[in-house]
This record gives sequence, C-alpha cells and structure tokens, in this order.
Amino acid sequence: MNSIIALSLFGIANLFLGFLNNRKILMPATLAFILFALGLNLADWNTEVLWFNNMLRTNNLSVNFTTVILVATLLVVAISRGFGDDEEHSHPAEYYAIMLFSVVGAIMMVTFENLLMLFIGLEILSVSMYVLTGSDKRNLRSNEAALKYFLMGAFATGILLFGVALVYGATGSFSIYGIGNFVTENRMGQSEITPMLYVGILLIIIGLLFKVSAAPFHFWTPDVYEGAPTIFTAFMSTVVKTAGFAALYRLLSVSFVGEYGKWVYLLYFLCAATLIIANITAVYQQSFKRMMAFSSISHAGYLLMTVTSNQATTQSSILFYSLAYSIATVTAFAVMILVSENKTSNGKPDESFDAFKGLAKNNPLLAFALAVSMLSLAGIPLTAGFWGKFFIFSDAFKRGLILDLIVAVLMSAVGVYYYFKPIIASYMKEGNIQEITIKPIYKLTLIITTILTILLGLMPDLVKSIF
Amino acid sequence: MNYQPSDYLPILVQLGAAIAFIVATMLATHWLGPKRHSKLKDDVFECGIESIGDARTPISVKYFLVAILFVLFDVEIIFMYPWAVNFKALGWDGFMEMIVFMGLLLLGFIYVIKKGVLKWEK
Amino acid sequence: MLTISLILLPIIAGLIILLTKGDNPKTIASIAAFVELILGGYAYNQFVPNGSSQFGASYNWIASAGIKFSVGIDGISLILVCLTTLVVPFIILSTFGRTEKNAPTFYALILFMQAALIGVFTAKDIFLFYFFFEVALIPVYFLAAIWGGENRIKVTFKFFIYTLFGSLFMLLGLVYLYMKTPGLHSSAISEIYQIAEGLNGKQQGYLFWAFFIAFAIKMPVFPFHTWQPDTYVESPTAATMLMSGVMLKMGTYGLIRILLPIVPLGVQTWGTTAITLSVIGIVYGSIIAIQQRDMKRLIAYSSFAHVGLISAGIFSRTLEGLQGSLMQMLAHGINVVGLFAISEFIFQRTKSRDLSRLGGITQTTPNLTVYFVIIMLGSVAMPLTNGFVGEFLLLKGIYTYNVWFGAVSGLTIILGAVYMLRMVQKSMFGETSKLTQGFADLALHEKMTLFPLAFMVIWFGIAPNTFLPIIEPAVKQLLTIIK
Repeated sequence: MNSIIALSLFGIANLFLGFLNNRKILMPATLAFILFALGLNLADWNTEVLWFNNMLRTNNLSVNFTTVILVATLLVVAISRGFGDDEEHSHPAEYYAIMLFSVVGAIMMVTFENLLMLFIGLEILSVSMYVLTGSDKRNLRSNEAALKYFLMGAFATGILLFGVALVYGATGSFSIYGIGNFVTENRMGQSEITPMLYVGILLIIIGLLFKVSAAPFHFWTPDVYEGAPTIFTAFMSTVVKTAGFAALYRLLSVSFVGEYGKWVYLLYFLCAATLIIANITAVYQQSFKRMMAFSSISHAGYLLMTVTSNQATTQSSILFYSLAYSIATVTAFAVMILVSENKTSNGKPDESFDAFKGLAKNNPLLAFALAVSMLSLAGIPLTAGFWGKFFIFSDAFKRGLILDLIVAVLMSAVGVYYYFKPIIASYMKEGNIQEITIKPIYKLTLIITTILTILLGLMPDLVKSIF
Repeated sequence: MNYQPSDYLPILVQLGAAIAFIVATMLATHWLGPKRHSKLKDDVFECGIESIGDARTPISVKYFLVAILFVLFDVEIIFMYPWAVNFKALGWDGFMEMIVFMGLLLLGFIYVIKKGVLKWEK
Repeated sequence: MLTISLILLPIIAGLIILLTKGDNPKTIASIAAFVELILGGYAYNQFVPNGSSQFGASYNWIASAGIKFSVGIDGISLILVCLTTLVVPFIILSTFGRTEKNAPTFYALILFMQAALIGVFTAKDIFLFYFFFEVALIPVYFLAAIWGGENRIKVTFKFFIYTLFGSLFMLLGLVYLYMKTPGLHSSAISEIYQIAEGLNGKQQGYLFWAFFIAFAIKMPVFPFHTWQPDTYVESPTAATMLMSGVMLKMGTYGLIRILLPIVPLGVQTWGTTAITLSVIGIVYGSIIAIQQRDMKRLIAYSSFAHVGLISAGIFSRTLEGLQGSLMQMLAHGINVVGLFAISEFIFQRTKSRDLSRLGGITQTTPNLTVYFVIIMLGSVAMPLTNGFVGEFLLLKGIYTYNVWFGAVSGLTIILGAVYMLRMVQKSMFGETSKLTQGFADLALHEKMTLFPLAFMVIWFGIAPNTFLPIIEPAVKQLLTIIK
C-alpha cells in the first residue's frame, strides 16, 4: 500500500529530475525508485489492513501480485534505453514518470476492495498506456495504435463502469466482500436476485476481458502491440495483463463466487475460443512483434482457464504463470529491440523473423536468451513456463474442464510451431549479424532473466511455496 | 421499495414529449420561415471586420495547451467548494488532505512553468 | 547418491565444457562419459538382484503439490542405465574423426542428453519422469537441427512437434491420475500404481491411448513413425545414435514402467490393437528396409522393425516377452549404434552412403569388415550373439500370446537377415568402386569404438546371464502388479 504513495511521489520526482542536464541519471533513479517501492511492498507481508475507509485492502495476495508487477516493471525499465537519442523530441523523464504512474494504477487494481477503486486504478493504468503507446510521435503506426487503443479502451471502460453501476444497483454495495455476502445470502434463498446483477457481472467481465485481451475482445491487441514502441509493448503485455487478471480473479472469486454456475459457462467457452483464435492466427504471422501479440492473447487464454476453474490454488497459479510469462516476454522483447535496431529495412527497424537470421553466430548470449524465453513461452520443461502450464492444467483438472484442457493441449503443440520460428532463424539459418554491443545493465538483465527462467524451471518451489 | 417496469412509464412519456417538441419546432421553422439568400445574409457576422478564409484553420498548439491547462486547474479548484462548505466538519484531517492536494497541484504548476509551456515565444 | 551422481556428472561435465570453452571438448566429454561408464558399472556391481528399487534418493521438489525429486534404480532401470552408460562413450569416440563447428556446444549437448536419459530411466515420480522425458528432446533437437544435413530444419522440426504433441497427452493423463491421489496429492509412481487400481475399464481405455500415443511416437510404432527415417538420415550420426540407441528406449521403457502397470484393463482391451500395429511395423519396416539404397535410411527402417518386435513383446505381457524386450533393448541399442558408427566411418571416407556406389571395402580394410559382420550378425539375431537371446525370448512371448502374431513376427528374422546381409554385401564385398578406392584403414578411435561394441555383441550372446538374473525378479515384480 505504501508503495502506491511512494510511487506517485517518485513519479513526480522523476518529472523534476528531467530538468537536470544529466539525462543519464534518470534510468538508475527510476530503478532505485522501483526497488524502494518493492521494499515497501514487501514490508506489508503478513499484515492485513484496510485503507482509506475500506477502499483498498493489503494482504499477502496483493503483496504477491504487486511484487510480480514491480518485478516486471523493473525489468522493463532496465532494458529501456533513454527513449531515443534525439535531444529535442524525446522526453525520457516524462515516460519514466508515466510508467511509474501506470504502475500505481496497476497496484490499485490488485489491492482494490471497492469497485470504484478498481475503476480508478484501471483508468490510471489505461490512460497512461494510451499516452505511452503513442509516444513515438513521428511514427504513423504508433499514432494509429494509440488512437485505436484509446477509443476501444475508453469504450471498454465505459462498459465496465456500467457493469459496476448495475451491480451496485442490484446489491447495494461497492465493496467486493459486501457484494459477495449479498450474492451468497441470496443463494440461500433469503430474497430474490434481480437479473440486473447478471447483466452487471456480464458487463464487468467483458470490460476486464477487453483489458487482458481475451477473444472476442482482442482485435485491438495486434495493431496496438505492433504500433507501440517495443519497450512499451513489453510493459503492456506484462504489467497490464497481470493486473487485469488479478482484478478479474478477485472479483470472480470473492464477489461473484456465489453465482459461479452462471458465469462459468461464458468463461469456459471464451477460454477455448481465445486459445484457438490466438494460436491459429499466430502461426500465420511474419512479424515477430505481431506474433508476440497473438502469443499474449493465447496466454490470456491459459490464464482464463485457471480463473474459470476457480480453485483454491488458482491465485498461486496465476501468480506463477504471470511471473514466468512476464520474465520470458521481457527477455524476448529485449532481444528483439537490440536485433531490430541493429538491422533496418527501408529505414525502419526490421521486426520480422528474418531479422534474427544467424543471430547465434556472433551473439551467443542474445540467441540463448531468446531461445530460453521462447521455450518458456512454449511451455517446454526446464523452463518456468512449463510449470506455469502444469499448475494451470492441474487446476483445470480439479474442476474437470475437459474441453478446455484438450484445446489447451492441442494449442500448446501449435504454439511450439511459432515459438520455434525465431529459434530456428537465430540458430539454424545463415545470416550476417555482426556482434551487437550491449550496455552492461542490459546484459545483466538478460542474464538474470534467463537464469531466473531456468531456475524456476528447475525449482518452481522457490516462489510457488510463497504464492 | 419495489419498482415495477410500469412505474417508469411517465418518464418514457416525458421523453417522447420532449423529442416530439424538438422535432416539431425544427420542422415548423424549416417550413414556415421565408428563405432569402444574399451576401450579407450569409455572412458569419453581420457587423465588424469581414471574415477571411475558413473557420477550420490550423491554430498554434500553444493555444490548446493554455486552454487545457486552464481547464485542468479550474476543475481542480472546484474541489475546494465542497471542502470549504464542510471545513469545520472535516477538521484537521481535512485541512491536511487539502494541503497535500494543493501541494501536488502546486508541484504540477511549477512543472508546467519550468517546462516552458506558458512561455509564448522561445 | 549413486543415482544422483549418475544424473549430475554429465551435466557438470557439460557445463564445464561450455563455460571453459576448452580447446579439447572431445577429451573432456569422453573422460566424463567413461567415468559415467565406471559409475554405471559400479551400480551394476552393487545391485542386489531382487525386485526392489535401490540407490534411491528423494528430495522435496514442489512441496505444496507433493511432487518429489525421487530417483532410484530397480532391475528394469538398471538395464537401461547400463545401456546408456555403455553406449554414450562410444558415441563420443566415434565423432573423433570429425571436427564440428562450435564443438563445445556439440559435446555439451550430448552429455546433457545423457543426463536427461538417465533421469528418465531412474525417475520414481511421474512428473519427474515426464520432466526428463521432455527435457531429453531439447538437446537432441538442437544437435540434429544445428549439425544436421541439408533438410535438417524442416525434418527436425517435424520430429520435435510430433513427439511433443504426443507427450502432451501423456501429461494430461498423468495429471488426471495425480489428481486422483488422496489428500494433498502425491505423484510417486508407487502411489499412482495404487490409485490406478480403482479406475474402471472406460477410464483406463482413455488413459491407455493418452499414454500409448506418447510412447508410440517416441519408439516409433506404425503408423506414428513418419518422423523417424528422415530425422535419422538428416541428423548428425552422433545424434542418430543417441536417438536410435537410447532415446527410443524411453518409449519402450515408458510402456513397461507407466502403461502396463497403470492401465492393465486398458491394455486388456486395446492390447491386441497395439500388438497388431507393432507387428505391422515389423513387416512394413523390414520390407521397406530391403528396398533402401541409403545405408542410414536402411538402418533406420531396421530399427523401426526391431522396435516393433520389442513393443509386441511388451504387450504380450508374458514373462518371456518382457524379459526379451529388456534384453533386446540392450542388444538393439548396442547393435544400432555400431551400425550407425560404421555407416558414418564409411561416409567420412567416401562421402556417400549409397549402397549401389559402394563395395569392395573389405579388400583394403578387413578390420572393418570383421566388425561390421559381427555387429550385423548381432542385429539379425544369430545364435551366440546378443540379439539372439532377446529376439528368441520375445518371439516366445508373442507366440504364447497368440500363435498367429508369433508366426508373423517370426518373419523379422528372415527379413532382417535379407536386408542386413544385403547391406553388408553391397557395401563391403564385390567390386571396388570409384568411391571406395584407396579406402583408408580404421583409425585408432574408430577401432576403439567398434572393438568394444563388437565384443559386447558376442559377450552378451555367450553370457546372457550377465543381465538375465537382474531382469527376472524385476519383471516378475512387474507382472504381480499387472495381474
């Protein structure tokens, strides 16, 4: 909780740091801020507190989710490189500040107790993301992506808010536990439930599914991911997704668990649809970034599966999966940034799979990091991604979601097909990539993420026992 | 309180009446009014200097920035009205919270000035 | 501790090779492999032949989910551990004649592969088994895809997706069983065996297919074999030896360790189908092998046919069939590695594996001919060679199960003799061709590879009791679980 206040202040501090002549200080300062916030966050471990007239609740669950979000942010910041070298037109201080503000929003989304806080957190996160998506001002695609994201996102937020209003109308409470009590009491047959509640639940689910880009609300994802500057794509696909699933999970498991039988069918089919659409479409992509966009959708499908199963272990599954997925995604994007900037076609960074051709020859570290992250995303053993999938499959088995499981298994095999494209390009194809110079912190980040992925693949209990 | 859908009927009637009134007036003026065109009649302004060019000319982005900043600070000041009304009831807690709020606003203002947004000519 | 060190030693050696970027990765790799062989021999020596699992070690892996890192060696495991440790040193030795690009990675991957294989054969926890089962794919995939032939990318990719696809269904089956265990769940194989007793015929039927497809693709059994010949041909020979010599035994081992004991009712229902497929594979593989001109492809199909026999023997669920399958796994591993090594040595000298363009090698290198003939005889199950014991027991087992299956399987001996003899005759005897003129004599490392392999072919043929007393109690134990 203190991390919210700290991060807001740090964001402002960052804005003023931008007035210093020395821009090099910004990134280390931001890293230090995030680390400090992480420390504050961990200090909340094992304390259950309600803040601001029952608006926010900190407990171990929120601390865990916040940790995952902050770790992902830390990695993204570590691989950011000053946002352009153009002195006049780049605003690194502002971008770092907006990132910190958006993390505040994400943390609110995982700590909310009152539905209004969910809405505010979601808006803080989304508005920041709209700005960051369009931050490459000279690039038409970036502008288009920002506008698209903004229009669709605003629409989804409206739907969510409408849902919140309806749920309030039906239950008379904004508190997630208040709603939960109302729903369960009514299940006991004490009074009737108006259909308004179901419409409200449906609209809230739709609003959140839009944010985590699950089918059929995923159409913005590929364009936005492709148009946004890669560093923010990495941020978007890790932080927003984790926060969105945390919010969805808390709502469904606390407030609406009494109506499980009603919403489960919706998610059950959306999960299968998401997996199928995302994986099949990803196969046909030529651009690495677009492939990662569809991969992000497909991971939303896997996460949806454990949310659907709604088991006691679901939260730890979501946490582990998000962590594994975030680490691998950031690594993949980090490698992509280096490679695509090094190799331009028609003056633009080359983001296709061909850009990776022959990467392993002169850049073994980059190729290895890429390979490990791809294996992790594909869910091959020895990497964290395997256990993520394993835990999710176990949850789904407990609930008996057989159709989803079979679809998920088939689609995992399909996933291997496209995740291997960059590996094949970098290890087995001939290419002429010279040695790419990497800044020490960048290198360190790549090494750390790669080691983490393998370490979690060997010993998932390191973090699983905490979650 | 238990509302039936039929209880909302008067609202619907009211809505229908309002729409009907607007439509009827617009149609009536359209049909009833005489239609004479002349250069003077079609002018944007009937007095003052003659207008030049299209209304949709590009305007320097600085105007928008100032306008947006005005709206921003203006809206935030609105918070102070309810606060002032409840000043006594809120006590010192409310006072401190407003100090924090104003402090943040002030920081934003300083940021805007230092950024040179209000500097008209560079 | 012994089991743990068997798994860890190759990993550590591989990491040393990778991290030091040593000038001579071959030497380090072969030293590690020979030390591993000594460890394997020690395990064989210390092993007490009863049905129990020995040299065990168990650590908490995922405590909250009851998943343990527990390994141990029983009679069945020991055979395969011995096979792995016996074969890998000679695989490494056989590559001494080549200078690979990026050699440290090449040898490190071979060693990682060995570790994963031993992990599969010693795992006592289903998820640990699955973990190693999948992990073993990664090094061999990279070995084949980076150092392979022209078409390697497409072919190895097909291989990877194919096998992964199969094992994902196995994962589903394993998770299903795991969820049935009481309390906080446990994934120990012994516990899973108990849980499986409570399953009805229908559930076992589904599980049977989930497991069977995974293992059938790995072995491979007809009609899941389409990845195999191309992959064997395109891979560098070291990888081919690893695949055919040891990796496919993961499939047959899985049948014995997982499939038979967990779903006996499923096997009762579907066993005949499985045997039919296996027997079709025997005949089909042999007939195609007869028509091959490419040596490597011929050996690949012969391997396919032999594995069909092993699988049929396992599904016969008789004492002889299971004993024979274990003996044959050992024998086949040794023989096929020898055959691939010889094809590689010939290829290095002539740059060809085309049987119609070879011939007359025996005139310059009688040494090679002797080794080739010995290993070939082992492969066609000549009495007093290692292949005979296994194949005899297997055929007896299948015969007890069903006379007709036995009769058709028996064709393997005749057809095997046809294609094997044809291969030796076309490549070694006859007129010297343009390619085989001035065929250089065997180098030291080549002799060091072939002599021990040929020696083992004869030794295990004369003294099958080296392993039979170990196999028998283990198989009997297994049969009591099944019945």
